[in-house]
Amino acid sequence: MMQLQTNRQAPRAAVNPANDAAKKAEAQHLAGLLASIAETRCRRAFSELFRHFAPKLLAYGSRQFGNEQTASDLVQETMTNVWHKAHLFNADKGAPATWIFTIARNIRFDLLRKNKHRRDEISADELWPILSEQNDSLEDDYALDHDVLMQEISAYYAQLPDAQRIVIEKIYVEGKSQQEVSDALGIPLGTVKSRTRLALLKLKELIA
Amino acid sequence: MIKAHPSDALLHSYVAGDLNSASGLVVSTHLDMCPHCKRMANVIEEELTAAMAAETENGAPTDGLGDDDMQLMLDAIFSSAAPDEGLVTTKTTNDGLIYLDGKRFQLPRSLARQQERIGPWNKMMGNMWRAPINLGTDEVANLIYMGSGTSVPEHTHKGTELQLVINGSFSDEYGHYHDGDLLFLDGTHQHTPHTSDEDCLILAVMDGPLHFTSGISRLLNPFSSLFFR
Repeated sequence: MMQLQTNRQAPRAAVNPANDAAKKAEAQHLAGLLASIAETRCRRAFSELFRHFAPKLLAYGSRQFGNEQTASDLVQETMTNVWHKAHLFNADKGAPATWIFTIARNIRFDLLRKNKHRRDEISADELWPILSEQNDSLEDDYALDHDVLMQEISAYYAQLPDAQRIVIEKIYVEGKSQQEVSDALGIPLGTVKSRTRLALLKLKELIA
Repeated sequence: MIKAHPSDALLHSYVAGDLNSASGLVVSTHLDMCPHCKRMANVIEEELTAAMAAETENGAPTDGLGDDDMQLMLDAIFSSAAPDEGLVTTKTTNDGLIYLDGKRFQLPRSLARQQERIGPWNKMMGNMWRAPINLGTDEVANLIYMGSGTSVPEHTHKGTELQLVINGSFSDEYGHYHDGDLLFLDGTHQHTPHTSDEDCLILAVMDGPLHFTSGISRLLNPFSSLFFR
């Protein structure tokens, strides 16, 4: 059976800057815990993470299964995966809560099919690979594109007049502020600003 | 440029884990090919995560997990054996390449991961071929290859069908479909898919047979299980 449920109305996070900042700080803290678990197998970090997520996972599981026992199996299996696979979490790809949700989602998928289990049956992690290392190969594809892009850009970049190129290099490659560039090159700040502006205009022209 | 995308409802069911394996495979293969839907799926993932977090904030009962329960679970987790990573990481032998009619096709990642589940190619009719994908479930998933200048008689669908163009193009009464286009078809769609100059490799998942609707092709209906297995 193809299930086409239309329960599209997940509550959207309220747009509230203070709330956003708190969420961000929390996500960073949780990511820090995951890093400690991955690097030092820190049990205290894991216990904190567990106490944060277990009640949420239990509530999610209870609603999904309508059964507290299966729900606590879901909590246990999800958090066991988190304990062993914390090194696979990648903060660049999303928040810790999202990563843990996707693990729970996959375990739910497998638990729902367990009773009619067939040995060769495809598993959730094959369909939504979160916990397999191969997952990262997509990043390599992007990395390649990025390299190509960089090559193109450096060709454009070489066409800038020396005075402008040096300023751009200091700001965008070395990460200096305009004031620092002004000090380093012994030229007025206004000149640094105008060279930057002209260089960016020229680059825009070349790329477009 | 991909024109035919999964509906919001389909994408949502996919992210929520509510689709069956076969439909899940089609959607995840589409996401491999479609950065737009990939981003949408990430947004839905975040929404569902927020919904999960809100379940306890909104005062849902959590009395099922007292301090003792938590400690028991923690102890069990700390003493659990690490899963065998070797089994997961060594599954890199699939190159995702298949060879048909003297041409080479690169399967998208989600499909390439299932390469060992792809069975032998069987001729359906004309220059149309099919290879079953054995997902170990009761769902029917096939790779379908239509050589250039092939057409399927006009039909509708007794169940629902998801079709994803992996490579090439085909057309029907509603439009032209290219790499990455995903079609949802049911009893309301009566169509005559055909290829012209280009061939086409399709991933198709269906939960009911085709029903042929015009002229002599109706004679195919008793044999429509040929198109559904």
